[in-house]
This record gives sequence, structure tokens and C-alpha cells, in this order.
Amino acid sequence: MKKFSLVEFSVGRPRLVVAIVVLITLGFLTQFPKIKTDTNPKNMLPPTSDVRVWNDEVDRTFGLYEDTIAVGIVNDDGILNERTLGKILRITDEVLRIDGVAARDVNALPTITNVTAEAGVLKVAPLMAGVPATRAEMGGLRKELTENPLFRGRVISDDGKTTAIYAPLEKGANGKAIADRITEIVKKEGGPERYYIAGDPVARDTFGAEMFKLMAVFAPIAGCIMLVARYLMFKDLFLSVTLMMDAMISIVWSMGLLIALGFPVHIMSSMAPVFLMAIATDSIHIFNEFYFRYREKRDKKAAIIETMKAVGRPVRYTALATAVGFGVLMFMDIVPVKVFGAVVAFGTVALRVLSFSFIPAMFTFVKEKNIEKIAVGEEISAGGSSGFLRGLATAGAHSPKATAVIGLILFGVSVIGISRIVVNNNMVEWFKSNSDIRTADSVLNTALGGTSLGYVVAVSNEDEYIKTPEAMRQIEGLQRHLEKVPVVGKTSSVVDYVKRINRVLHDDDPKYDTIPSSKEEIGQYLFLFSMSAKPSDLDNVVDYPFRKANIWVQLKTWDAQAMRSVLRAVDEYKQENPGTLVFKPAGIAYFNLVWNDEVLWDMLKGFIIALVVIFVILSFNFGSVKWAAIGYTPLLFTILLIYGAVGYMGKDFDMPIAVLSCLSLGMAVDFSIHFISRLRQRLKEAGQTGTPSSESLVNALLWTAARPGKGIMRNAVLFASAFSVMLFAPLTPYITVGAFIVSMMLLSAILTMIYLPAMIVLFRGRLFGGN
Amino acid sequence: MLKYLVLLLAVLLPLNSFAVTPEEVMKSSQAAFLYPAKDFKARVVMRLISKSGSERTRELTMLRKNYGEPGGDQKYFMYFYQPADVKNMAFMVYKYPGRDDDRWLFVPALNMVRRIAAQDRRSSFVGSDFTYEDVSGRDIVDDTHEIAREEKLGEADCFVVKSTPKAGDTDYGHKLSWIDKKTFLPLKEEYYDKKGALYKVFTAEEIKDVKGFPTVTKRTMKNLQSGHSTVTTFTKVDYNIGIEDSLFTERYLKQPPGKWIE
Repeated sequence: MKKFSLVEFSVGRPRLVVAIVVLITLGFLTQFPKIKTDTNPKNMLPPTSDVRVWNDEVDRTFGLYEDTIAVGIVNDDGILNERTLGKILRITDEVLRIDGVAARDVNALPTITNVTAEAGVLKVAPLMAGVPATRAEMGGLRKELTENPLFRGRVISDDGKTTAIYAPLEKGANGKAIADRITEIVKKEGGPERYYIAGDPVARDTFGAEMFKLMAVFAPIAGCIMLVARYLMFKDLFLSVTLMMDAMISIVWSMGLLIALGFPVHIMSSMAPVFLMAIATDSIHIFNEFYFRYREKRDKKAAIIETMKAVGRPVRYTALATAVGFGVLMFMDIVPVKVFGAVVAFGTVALRVLSFSFIPAMFTFVKEKNIEKIAVGEEISAGGSSGFLRGLATAGAHSPKATAVIGLILFGVSVIGISRIVVNNNMVEWFKSNSDIRTADSVLNTALGGTSLGYVVAVSNEDEYIKTPEAMRQIEGLQRHLEKVPVVGKTSSVVDYVKRINRVLHDDDPKYDTIPSSKEEIGQYLFLFSMSAKPSDLDNVVDYPFRKANIWVQLKTWDAQAMRSVLRAVDEYKQENPGTLVFKPAGIAYFNLVWNDEVLWDMLKGFIIALVVIFVILSFNFGSVKWAAIGYTPLLFTILLIYGAVGYMGKDFDMPIAVLSCLSLGMAVDFSIHFISRLRQRLKEAGQTGTPSSESLVNALLWTAARPGKGIMRNAVLFASAFSVMLFAPLTPYITVGAFIVSMMLLSAILTMIYLPAMIVLFRGRLFGGN
Repeated sequence: MLKYLVLLLAVLLPLNSFAVTPEEVMKSSQAAFLYPAKDFKARVVMRLISKSGSERTRELTMLRKNYGEPGGDQKYFMYFYQPADVKNMAFMVYKYPGRDDDRWLFVPALNMVRRIAAQDRRSSFVGSDFTYEDVSGRDIVDDTHEIAREEKLGEADCFVVKSTPKAGDTDYGHKLSWIDKKTFLPLKEEYYDKKGALYKVFTAEEIKDVKGFPTVTKRTMKNLQSGHSTVTTFTKVDYNIGIEDSLFTERYLKQPPGKWIE
């Protein structure tokens, strides 16, 4: 009853209502300048999460950096010539001067530590302090590069055509800004060398920046297309703009609230406007019904009130279902997921309040003449689209068994597809395959050991243990075992340094490329190394008390799953070679794996809980579990079909898909709520009590398909057309979002039209018998 | 004529003779800090402290003998006690101004003396925040010096000398040194990186008088960027103890005479 009075109040005092809405909106708008953004997906896990605490600890223990940018330099004629080396030297020097680059630990040909023996003199020094001036010097450099396993796959490719500069970043540095600066530097040097800038921070920060840009470009474009489509549907600009404003106002309110509360806008919450636009289309049912009612009544005010009476209940329940669907996200573990859920839930509620106040108020401003004109076009029987919808419903209602069988087959096929879905996230693959970032990554991953970095920390239970030959042998064994994993490009550890020094001290005799047999020898070699090497060389691979060692594992892909295969290999090794060392994973690759598991599973969990909660809401709405089950069918079916297709396409269940899952729930269920509510209303209005006859049921179904069904179809088409723009976005997650929304909207609308009639006819006895 | 000349000299002289040049300050500082007496001995303990607070210890006896004037040749002999597995390791350096050092290392596990190439003097000394140069000194002619200002550092009146390397091959852009006007010991040094940001700070924390030579017995080098620091203490400091030339040979590197390393 309260809602009713709100509608009547709004119709009675439209100017006041609009003024209040405008004032509130302006109030929220004032919050916008305070906006803070956080584009780093990493922050989806709070800094206090176990994996970040552990990774920070490992970073501190071994003096490591969270993020490193790799700059690849390729010359098809080989990089070992004066010109190219000169460029490498200059570029490295410039990179060292970039703010945010940890200059002291940049590794590249000019800075990487080399251990050699020349004429009996042991030399620990940067590999290439200057460009080799003579042929002999050039030959010496070539020999070092090819013979030293510490360099191969790291600063030189096997074919000698590719080298890389590894620039670790200080905490909080912006990867994209640094990558952009490096791009400028290499541009100055020019060809024939080709330059590639790769690494997770580049992808992450570029994606964050691009995402905000895209949101700023695509959300308005989608909005405009919806505006045009609405205009084509209703031929009234004023009303089309009203609908648009409805969405915009709720976006301003919810984002304003988010900003006012001091939350930064995250990747996820930046998608909220698009979601709210999607949810706002639901108000099209009000418009749809309004024109039908107006034709019948010819009285604007009465038509508005009656419309709200008719669609009020389904609109309220769809809003509730959507709000709850997103609201459950608030009970998840990941903070940005919670915030996102809260923002969208709030926006949904705001939208509904507007539907019962702002929209009716705006209706009163429309000239009767205009409404008349449109209303003429809203004749059920005459409309081509209504005819098509009737056709769909007829197919379902007349051959319910065949429809059900086809459904079951599709169901089975989808389930098989779904079983193939892999939960995985690869941020580099969020870029198109011909993008700079993807190209850089694949070039470096082919030529060198891999741009993605994981660590395996070997932990012993006594100080100094790492210096023992047993510990060294265990670590070396693990390295060789890990290198058999296909995604592992290269591993390095303290053992590599020890072996190198052993060999160099013995006049570069390959026979001594082994682990020495006593702890004293190993300790002295390491000390010797530390006497002149960069402190970080040793710090990066062993801790201070020599209790822990850090094995670097370079991976050839950013797939979160790659690290899982490393973990599996570690377990295998541990089983075959029980020793005292315990191996623990760390590093950005490990972080991505945990992120993948925690964030995506959290969202999946939220999705499943939402499914259950929405079923409960449906049961309440329909006052019957049976009707809820029927109303649930199109939703479940849409989801199954889409995920089945995702599975067959070999697409991973990644973050964009996970986010969309929630949207699909909110939207797809709307259609059945509208359909079933209106059907039952129709039956009641027709004076039907108890089980309707098969004939009258079919008639009611066809009416529903044609009239509220038109609203459903309009809703779907409107939305699908707007979001089809996203198919042309430069980032794959947006293409995914576009494709997903388009197919979800159309599928769920069509499935609602076909399967609801089919199911209702099929279970007529049970559905109505109980009532 | 001569009268005028004398007058002119008299006018100019005080300026020239009483105002010290920055080079002179640095020379006196070098003599006081790295070249006092004929020879020198100390038990050196270096505590290498990482950002997270873990520590590594280096303990050694350092023997030094001067050859010629301050700023001239020197020989260093270092015998290690810690870390435990490098006990008996010994390191010897012949330092020559203006050219690369000669360095030798005795590796006990191999019972072998190895020559080590003297590379970058700015590289870390035994993994600490001190560089070889910080231990044995930097040639004064390698930098241009200017007296930036004179100020008090704690109780001590100091020259603040700004030294900028002439060549670009150093890890820092310039250095500020607070040189005590009385002892000429450096009390503090600030190293600025090439971007102009302060990144390393040297402080002399304890100064003791040994046989009339003011000696820095505790010093710290802190790297502000990596958070790593090294605290070095000198104990059993002694001067003019009559170290023989023969100590600085490969033979003694393998088996140092007990009297020097007890």
C-alpha cells in the first residue's frame, strides 16, 4: 500500500517529486570530485591476506621485488655487434634513471654479475661495463654468454638474437607509466632492433588504465544506443530520455554514495554503471504496460496508477531478486566483491524507488497527443513483434513434450560443456592477441626463460643448513625436476652460483661444474662471491642465516594454472626425495594462483548462493515452490547454455565471466517474474479459479507472450543492441562482456517465451491443482 | 715598486693562506681517517643488518701499513674469523693511488691463494653497505670538491664539502662530507644518487683517541633505498706496532703469524 501512495503522490505532485530527485542527484554529484581509483586487481586481496603477507615476507627476506618489467631487445642478425650492444648500454643506463625503477637491482648485460677467471685471476664484476672494442673482447663476451648457465635464457636467448633488461619496480610504482617511459627511450634508439616491453605490472596497470577509459567510452555509447532504440520503440523522445535519466540518476546515486563513503573505485565497482544500466531497462515494462493501459482508459493519470498496480508487484520482485542477487556478494570474503555487490544492490533499490516516483511523475508531463499516437501502434494483434512472440509461445504451448525433450538434450550437452570449464585467469590474455603486450609476452616467452616469475622457497630447520652439500643437492634436484614441467622455462638458485664459482676457481674446468663436497668449501665460495658481487645477487637466493634458499622459477605463461603445475611437480619431487627441506611457493605467479582461487571461487560461491536465494524469493513471490521451480527454468537454462558454450569454446572461467554470472542471474530471472506474475494476474482477471482449462490457459499464455512478452523482448533487444558495441572493444574482457550480455539477453528472453508456456502446459495439473 | 708589491701581497696573503681550499680539507681528512701513523691494527666486526632486521656478521683482523705520504701506497691484510665457515680465509690488498689495486685471497677449503681482479671500487666490501672505496679511500683527484658551507654537527664545527665525481662511473651523483675542523675526521657523509635523491648515509658514531690518533671506532653506513645497513666497530686498535713488509706475501696469507691474528 505504501508504494501505491508513493505513485499517487508522485502523480499528484510531479514537480515536487522531480525537484527532490534532482536535488538528491546534485547532492551525490558533489561527491564525484573526491573520487579515488584503484585499478590494481591485486588489491582484490587485502594487504593483510595470507598470501600477500607471506609474499611480502619472502620479498623482505630475499630483498625481492613484487613486480619486474622485462624489456626485450631483438636483432635478427644477433645482438652481439657494436651497434646493438651500444644501444643496450644506453637503454640500460636510461632505465636506471627512471623513477620507480629499483636501479640497484636492474639486471641486463651491462649490470648482471659475472664470475670468470682470466689468466688465473678471479673476476666478479658486471658482465659488460662497456661495449667490447676489439674482436677478442667481443669473442670473450660471446663465450661468457653461451657458457654461463646463469645468463642463458635470462639475458641471452639460445640463438643469440634476443636479450632482456629486467627492471624491478619499487613498491607502489606504476607499471604502465614506467613502461611508457621505456617506450620513449627505445623509440629514440630505433631499429633495426625490435623492442618488447612485457611483464605482469605492465599488463595490470595498462588494463586498469584502459578499463577506466573504456568505461568512459562504452557506457555512454551503450547509453546512446539504448536511447535511440527506445525512441524507435516509443517514438517519444521525452519518455526515452526519462528512461535514460532513470538509469543515470541511480548510477549517480550509487557511485556518489560509494565515493562519499571513501571507497576507492575498483575494477569491479567501475563496472557497476553498466550493470545498473542493464537493471534499469526493467522499467521498460512500466512504459510497455502504460501504453496498453492508456489505449484502454484514455486517461493519463488513471493509466499511470493502473499501470503501476499491474506491474508493481513483478517490478518490485524483480528488483528484490536483483538486489538480493547482488546483495549476497556482501557476505563474500573479498572486499571489492562486497563493495560491488553493495553498490549494485543499492542502485537497484534506488532504481525501483525511482520507478514508483520519478517515472510516474515524468509521465504526467507527456502530452496526451503524443501518447495517443504511440498507443495506436501498441495493438497486440497487429504488431509484427507481438505476432512473433505469440508464435514462440505457441510452439512451446502446443508441443510441450517435444520442447521439453529438446530442452533435456540441450541440458545434457551443456553440462558436458560446463564440465570442461577451467577456473583460470591470465591478465596478459585480457589483451587481444595482436596487442603490444601480448606480442611482447609471447616473443620473450619463446626466446627466453619466461616473463612470469614464481618462487619456491626451501626452508630448513637450522641455520647454515643451506650451505651443506645435502641441501644443495636437494635444491638442484628440485630444479632439474621443475625444468621438466612444460611451462617452466628456467630455474635459478644459489646452487647455480656455487657451481659456477667451483668451476671458475678450478680454471674453468667443466668437471668442476658440480656441487662441492664439503660445507666449508660451499661457505667459502659464497663468501668469495659476496666479496665483490652486488649484495642482492646472494640476498635474492639465500636468507641471512642460510636457513632458507629461494629458487626462481621462470614461467612461460601468466596462466594462474601454470603455478599449480609447479606445485604439483614440487610435491612429486618431495615424495620421491624425502629430505629435511620444506618447499613453499611464493612470488607473483603464486599470488595470481591464489588470487584466481580466492577471488574467482569467492565469486562462484556468491553466484551459487544467489541462485538459491533467488529461488527462495521466487517461491515467496509466487507463493508456491512449484511455480518458483517453473519460473527458475529459463534462468537455469540460460546459464547452463551459456556456460556450456563457454566450456566448448575452451574459454576459462576468469574474472569478467565471473562478474557476469551475477548479472545473468539478476536479469534472466526478471523475465520469468514478469511473465508468470502477469499470466496469473490475467487468469485472475478473467475470473479463473482452480485449474484453468487447457484452452483458456493457452489463451492466457498467448496473451502474456504478446503483451508483457513484448516488454520482455523489448527489454532484451534494447539491452543486447546496446551491449553489442562492446564486441568492438580492444580488450578481450569487454568483448566477453558484450558477447555474454547479448547472448544472455536474447537467450533468456526466448527461453522464457518458449519454455515457460511449455512447462506451464505440461505441469498444468500440478501447478494449479495445489492452489 | 717593491713597496707596492709587498703591500699587494700583504693584502692578498691572508686570503690565500688562511682560507683553506676544499682539496686541502679533503687531503687532511684522508690523512686523518685512512693514513694515521705508520701502521695500524684493529679487530673489525661488521654487522650487516637487512631491512627486516636479520643480521650477518663479518669479523676480521685488519692490518695496514703505509708506504710513503698520506694519499700514497698502502698494503692491507685481512684475516677472517666470521662467518664460521670462512675462518682462516685471508685477504690482501695492495693499494695504489691512481690505478687498480692488486688483491689476493686465500681459500682454505682449497688450500689455495687466488688473485682477484680489482674491479669497481664502488662494489660492496664483503657484502656490506661499505664499498672497497669506503674502506680504503677514494683518490682525491677523482672528484671536484667545493666547500658548500660550514656548520656545526652536534658539538663539532665542520666543513661541509660537496664532492662530485669527474667520471660518471660511480653509483652516486655527488657526496656531502661533514669534516670536523679539529680532527679532520669525516663525521657524516651523505650520498645522493644520480636522480639527486639522498640514498646512503655514513655516520661516525664513536671516536676514541688511540696513541694520540683520533680514531673512528664505530661507524654506520645505511642504505635508505634498500633499508639495509652495516654497523662496523673497531676494537683492539693500535698504531705504530712495527708490521713487517714480509707479512704482505702469499706465504703469510696462507699462514699468518700468530702474533698478528690472535
